[in-house]
Amino acid sequence: MSLDPDLYESMRLELRRGSLVLAVLACLRTERYGYTLRQALAADGLEMEESTLYPLLRRLESQGLLNSEWREEEKRKKRFYVLSPGGVSMLAALTDEWRGINASLDKIL
Amino acid sequence: MDMIDRYLNAVAAQLPQDERADIVAELRDLILSRFEAKEEDLGRPLNEDEQEAILREIGHPLVVAARYRKGPDSLVGPELFPYWLFGVKAGLLVLGAVYALTLLIRLISGPDAAGQAIAQAFHGFFGAGLTLIGAATLAAAIFEHYGIRPAFLTRWRAKDLGAFGLADPAAWGASMAGTETAKATWMPRRKPKAWPGGEYLFSFLATGMFVLWWVGVLHFPGLRSFELLGDDVTITGSLVWYALFGPILLYAVAQMAVDLASLLRPHAVRMRAAAQIVIAGGGLWLTWLIFQAGQWFRLTRGEETAWIEGDWTMLNFDTLRTLGDGARDLAGVAGTLSVVMVWALAVSALSMAFSVLANLRRLARG
Repeated sequence: MSLDPDLYESMRLELRRGSLVLAVLACLRTERYGYTLRQALAADGLEMEESTLYPLLRRLESQGLLNSEWREEEKRKKRFYVLSPGGVSMLAALTDEWRGINASLDKIL
Repeated sequence: MDMIDRYLNAVAAQLPQDERADIVAELRDLILSRFEAKEEDLGRPLNEDEQEAILREIGHPLVVAARYRKGPDSLVGPELFPYWLFGVKAGLLVLGAVYALTLLIRLISGPDAAGQAIAQAFHGFFGAGLTLIGAATLAAAIFEHYGIRPAFLTRWRAKDLGAFGLADPAAWGASMAGTETAKATWMPRRKPKAWPGGEYLFSFLATGMFVLWWVGVLHFPGLRSFELLGDDVTITGSLVWYALFGPILLYAVAQMAVDLASLLRPHAVRMRAAAQIVIAGGGLWLTWLIFQAGQWFRLTRGEETAWIEGDWTMLNFDTLRTLGDGARDLAGVAGTLSVVMVWALAVSALSMAFSVLANLRRLARG
């Protein structure tokens, strides 16, 4: 039976959705601004729309998981984000959870 | 104003005032970074079409701004949606039934204006239906916005779920059929020790409404007149209602007193059973007196009058089968309503007799 491409796309996005937060937190162990963060994620195979990434960064910051500051770089002011101490703990906890899910799935799959 | 400013202005207008400048500055940096990266790829400056293509990739200003909103991003979220859908479906079914019944009565009483009646019924149904959907959506949006989850959504009990099955109209017939299977499926299951306060409270409030109406405090428009073939028909009670005013009031107040006592002492089964036997007995006596009176209501249209009246001889299925076959004039309508009244009194008497027997059994069992 052939694969329904629309259904596959919808399920693929659903599968990815939960993992993006983890990826963003992990990427921000190093300080980055939005554009370079998106490039870094894309380079590792996780394409993310700007309209999703930028609001997510603000949400994570308002939740106390990220710190940010405006700084000038390449003749323009840019907002740099990095994990806060709370973000470091959250990343560690989510990474454990992720590995647990992966291990379970590996057994099932 | 260049393209980036127009785009950012459109986004900014949708954002909260206190965060606007910050978000717009960050988006401006993003857009310029995207432009520069593309220019580096192409080795030349971008033209307007290419710039616009990048803005489209970033997203429509309304969508981009909406992603920054902190509250819920839907009026009815996935958690509330099943409740919203049930409420709307059930409400529309009830509205449909009410409008269909109203239409039927209007078609019987004035078939000449059938077209107008049908149009008004549709108009009324769609108007009321849209209002219902709007009100349900508004309520859900308030719940979403303030994160409210009423206790009846979160602390529901399996014994209270019977009514939800009735959202499927196909089940209505089964529910009314009274078969054991239907009862097992659709009747609310009652545990022997469950608190039956809801039933008593409903009975107390419903009887209270009746008492207020009976003594003239509450008024329900449309009960004293209706339209027949374009003329107003007035309904006047016969003398039996004046004669039995006091006993009927006493009967209703007694019922309220028993409901109240049951609310306060829901497990006093014998006390309630004894009181219900007395009340049902009183109700049977009243029904008998009303039936014996023979004439119950007078319909008046101008100079013309007709009585809603009847006796035991009308209690047969042949009479019931002729329901609705009467002439469309005042006498015909009175004849139809007479059959309805006779049967309503008979059913009421049967239900009270059943109540006496059931409570006698309850009393005997303790």
